[in-house]
Amino acid sequence: MEFLSPATWEEALAAKSAHPDAVPIMGGTDVMVELNFDQHRPSALLDLTRVAELAEWGPDGSRVRLGAGVSYTTIIQRLGKHAPALAQAARTVASPQIRNRGTVGGNLGGASPAGDSHPPLLAADAVIELASVHGVRHVAAREFYLGPRRTARRDDELIAAVLLPERAGPQHFCKIGTRNAMVIAVASFCVTLDAATRTAGTGIGSAGPTPLRAVAAEEFLTAEFDWQGAGPLSEAAVRHFGELVASAARPIDDVRGSADYRKHALSVMARRALSWSVTDYRKGEAQCA
Amino acid sequence: MTAVTNQTISQPLDRVDGPAKVTGRARYSAEIPLPGTVHAVLVGAVVPSGRTNTIQTGEAEQVPGVLAVLTHANLPKIAAQPRLFPSLFGHAAVGETFFPMQDDVVHYAGQPVAMVVADTLERAQHAAGLVHVSYHTAPSTTTLEQGRDRAYEPGRIFGGLLPGRMERGDPDSGLAKAPVHIDRTYRFAANHHNPIEPSSTTAVWEDDRLTLYDSTQGITATRLTVAELMGLPSSNVRVLTHYVGGGFGAKAMIWPHVALTAIAARYVGRPVKLALTREQMFSSCGHREEQEQHAVLGAGNEGRVTTLRHHKLSATSPFDDWAEPSLNVAAQAYSYPNYQGSYRLVRTNTMTPTFTRGPGEASGMFALESAMDELAYELGLDPIELRLRNHADADPLTGNPWSSKGLRECYQRGAERFGWRERNPAARSQRDGHWLIGSGTATAGYPVPAFPGLQPQRARARLYADGSAVLQAGTQEFGTGVATAMTQVAADGLGVPLDRVRFDYGDTELPNTAPAVGSAGSGMVSSAVHSAATSLRDQLVAQAVAQAVADSESPLHAADPSTVVVGDGRMMLRDRPETGETYSELLQRNGVEDAEALGSWQPTGMDTGYALTTFGAQFAEVAVDSDLGLVRVRRMVGAFAPGRVLNPKTARSQLMGGMLWGMSQALPEGTQMDSRMGRWANASLGEYLVPVNADAPEVDVEFVEVREDVANPLGVKGVGEIGQIGAAAAIANAVFHATGHRVRELPIRIEHLLRSA
Repeated sequence: MEFLSPATWEEALAAKSAHPDAVPIMGGTDVMVELNFDQHRPSALLDLTRVAELAEWGPDGSRVRLGAGVSYTTIIQRLGKHAPALAQAARTVASPQIRNRGTVGGNLGGASPAGDSHPPLLAADAVIELASVHGVRHVAAREFYLGPRRTARRDDELIAAVLLPERAGPQHFCKIGTRNAMVIAVASFCVTLDAATRTAGTGIGSAGPTPLRAVAAEEFLTAEFDWQGAGPLSEAAVRHFGELVASAARPIDDVRGSADYRKHALSVMARRALSWSVTDYRKGEAQCA
Repeated sequence: MTAVTNQTISQPLDRVDGPAKVTGRARYSAEIPLPGTVHAVLVGAVVPSGRTNTIQTGEAEQVPGVLAVLTHANLPKIAAQPRLFPSLFGHAAVGETFFPMQDDVVHYAGQPVAMVVADTLERAQHAAGLVHVSYHTAPSTTTLEQGRDRAYEPGRIFGGLLPGRMERGDPDSGLAKAPVHIDRTYRFAANHHNPIEPSSTTAVWEDDRLTLYDSTQGITATRLTVAELMGLPSSNVRVLTHYVGGGFGAKAMIWPHVALTAIAARYVGRPVKLALTREQMFSSCGHREEQEQHAVLGAGNEGRVTTLRHHKLSATSPFDDWAEPSLNVAAQAYSYPNYQGSYRLVRTNTMTPTFTRGPGEASGMFALESAMDELAYELGLDPIELRLRNHADADPLTGNPWSSKGLRECYQRGAERFGWRERNPAARSQRDGHWLIGSGTATAGYPVPAFPGLQPQRARARLYADGSAVLQAGTQEFGTGVATAMTQVAADGLGVPLDRVRFDYGDTELPNTAPAVGSAGSGMVSSAVHSAATSLRDQLVAQAVAQAVADSESPLHAADPSTVVVGDGRMMLRDRPETGETYSELLQRNGVEDAEALGSWQPTGMDTGYALTTFGAQFAEVAVDSDLGLVRVRRMVGAFAPGRVLNPKTARSQLMGGMLWGMSQALPEGTQMDSRMGRWANASLGEYLVPVNADAPEVDVEFVEVREDVANPLGVKGVGEIGQIGAAAAIANAVFHATGHRVRELPIRIEHLLRSA
């Protein structure tokens, strides 16, 4: 196994171009586990930890540009205002040690349907910045997840950053695990209400072959919600939203939970997250995680 | 008798090994660097039953650095198979009476079928992956369900120590006459111990002498077991174990990998280290068996329980009749005149189950205390009141008085701390947002080991002319704080300041003590240390006052020893403390560099005329999200009466840890058998869940003082496991109070509670 350790982003892109099957490694919280269990033996590892700009973040026009190597700990500490759901999700990742190492870029690279950052990225309509020696392209998170652990990233591309749209409303992330930390989600859910575009967003984790959106639920909520007056939703509407979210899931039975439970839990989480979001929206407050 | 003026016992001192542990200086068995050490890796069977067909070792043998690939074909045979007997008794103590790689038979998945030795761990692991084993697979039984119709009643269980059936009074007529019955079945998943340090052994031969660095709860058990298996004189086997990263019973008995390491080291002529992987820990060191308990309570309308019938059905191995003793403390818990208990076993293709955190008491008291809670609701009685009405003033088994009890005070003090009286007894009566809130209680009980045939407990005390002292005993520190508590016992026994005493342990060349099992460690070792320290003290005082010998210069010359007290390393007259001298002055004046004494204490048998059991009371508050089936424990209160507490800080930590293990037993913990493959399905810490910090509620520990004069010289009853007993029942009872739904299965899972929505 070759170990490539570029010092700059340009060198990293050149290395990925020369070794398209090299596995990028940043925090190592997924890659090292797979290596240790010998689940995967790549021909090369591409160490990105020396590329300083990957760990940077800051405003990019109206958006926030989050380098692919920014740790979950930094997201929790710094991005609570800009991306509350992502910060909430980051808080539920594993343990402090792993949050110090793990990154959203790594979550996107691995593209496990159980990755905690995916539902907030989907719901908030984030954009993934991909780069190669041929240039940079942007892919919406909503177009990024193609199949089980398959994404729109091409073999010669690296994940450079995530672009988070300016927040214009409440966001809530929920996760069910079998304990309070150090746990892979049984199911997770995120909802966003965007007052600027008057649209609702959703994201579902751990309940399908890929992270999912509940498109019908989004459309229903976008149409049903009183964006102007922020009047309360009827109980029937909240319940229907939950059902639409559950019906968008494509879960399986596994050691963490049954498919039926996942659907049930998603409907419960969707109802609760929506109720909290509507309350926040009515308050007009910037709800920080 | 000379008195001691300084008192460090019962002070909440910091751990003496704390700095070494937090800085990483403390070396655990596998971390001790030994020149020339090579590495062994075990290859486990992937089928649960049958025979190995072919074992192809050629490819593995070609790996550079590989020194040996051992299978049943070339592994030297063991000399003898020791019997299974609890290590507490101080004999050889195998965890199972089957030794692998003697022939081609496979009894359980994970059973070692080959062992690779190589110069590096990586090469050994790689080569182990190249050992190709094919099997003639036979049908297997791995769950209770599969073997239920072949259950049998063993004559005795638990290494032959306990009868398979017990009865007193007339349980049939007791039940027939009782107007109120609770008749329930409780189910328990298997548990694995999961200490943070996986077991490891390093074996070093020098001619025919063997030194083992072993992660064990009992160095003498390791010594005697390996000596017997290999046909060596006991004196030729030395075991060194200073720090153990938790045991919980996984290291209480000596499992085959220990002797396999010694055999491999002799075979290759090099020191060999074997460290089990986390996954191998699930099929190498025993487990708590899958079991089912049927409890029937017969009671009068006023809540007097007249009869308990308590039957257990559990899984054991193909070769041993093992059941954890789930019935015993439950049989003594209340004053029922009629009792019947029985064990039935099912042979399954697993290794022999073993001691696991509160072995028996934790499961048996879950069943009994869940049933008692049901009875309280049935009768409309407060659960504490029901327990008080059935309080056993004497041991119901023997009629003997308790050596000490304190249970009434535990209920009372625990209830006060918890705020039990403010509770609305109605189920499903309290809500906090999405959460249903409830509280529950249970009795805790754990025996103080008192058996005939326990070994004498020994320690050595030495005091140097400069006033420093060392106390030695062959125990090991597995995280309980024993080294700290024994330093305190030594300081008080000798009458010297704490910082002049060192406690030396972890080596079979030191005087022998019992292993750290059965919550017995502090009671056993403290008795030996106390005996040695006071012997040396009395010897030095005797020397100071002696009239027959030449040293008439001592200020204490000719004094009556009973008028002499010691403190801060100085002997003095009680009434005239200015008259006296230090130990140092005495030794230096006589030109003696040190003084030494051996202490010995014979543990209590069963003939004291007393019953010895530690009691406590558990309280828990839970929140249940019945829409999602989630349970979170909000707070726990435990009140315990463990006799003398040597160090309240470490004792409190142990009791807290025990209560959290009880929470773990109630909620996340359980090993699932995949009966199609005959293997444990969740053999990793990612899937075998134990609580993390974020799950730990507020845990409040209350000590109830009782005077204990029977158990041992210092009156120590032990705090190792009592913290866990009853905690799971208190949580399940709280879940009922929160939801109105009774869960009779551990662990409590989401599915159990969704039905309660």
